[in-house]
Amino acid sequence: MLKCRDVVDKADALVDGSPLTRRERFALRLHLLICHHCRRYVRQLRALLGFLPRQPDPLDEARTDAILKRLEDKAKD
Amino acid sequence: MADQPLETPEFIERLRQGDRAAFGQLVKAQHNMLLATARTLLNPADAEEAVQDAWIAAHRAIAGFEGRSQLRTWLTRIVINQAKMMLRKRGREIQFDPADEQDPLAYRFKQNGAWQLSPQHWELSGPDNLLTREELRRCMEKHLHFMPDNQRLVLELRDLQGLPAEDVCNMLEISASNVRVLLHRARAHLFEMVDHFQETGEC
Repeated sequence: MLKCRDVVDKADALVDGSPLTRRERFALRLHLLICHHCRRYVRQLRALLGFLPRQPDPLDEARTDAILKRLEDKAKD
Repeated sequence: MADQPLETPEFIERLRQGDRAAFGQLVKAQHNMLLATARTLLNPADAEEAVQDAWIAAHRAIAGFEGRSQLRTWLTRIVINQAKMMLRKRGREIQFDPADEQDPLAYRFKQNGAWQLSPQHWELSGPDNLLTREELRRCMEKHLHFMPDNQRLVLELRDLQGLPAEDVCNMLEISASNVRVLLHRARAHLFEMVDHFQETGEC
């Protein structure tokens, strides 16, 4: 039987889709069925990761050009 | 011309041929993400310099890019190497061995592995959604700032940029289990922070 501490360790794979064996997945499901503290942990961890800021904006034209210009100057050296 | 999707063989071929517009598109699409990676290890000015130098290195090496990894992974690796070089110049190193720090959630469990202090209930729906609160955002930034470099870097690459775990192992030259431990601790830090905020209303 998994302990809550083990569930919290394996929850990472559960929330980010990393591979788990069928046996591990089954044991996790079973534990989550009976333990509302762990269910809450997994649900809230998933929500938290979903709220992390994602892809930043693309760089603006002027700064992109400045970088290209610098590359070309370097290439001439 | 409309921007071509990155990571396609056609686009990579244009880059390898030294197509200026294609390289410009690459810079435009990736610069801010690479900067975010560099900033997990360096102050903003050094991070900017590291990414500028990484573009020079990438521009020189692109003709030999073989497409064995994604372009994004290849570029990130160059940035990390530049950042490590910069750290060395400043007399610092990043330590990738996670052994020195405790799991931030360890204190919450009893000897027998059951919860001693289980998490608070977080309001996650509607206008009161805890995670959308501006104070929480600020608090998260503060905590990210004080998190160990290695955890912050792994969190950035895996959870903010969504790079595959295997790519992260390769580019940092650390084992899969070390990546897993670092990511777990970084997430646990953030979980603790939010849970504390829920309980006390303070950062």
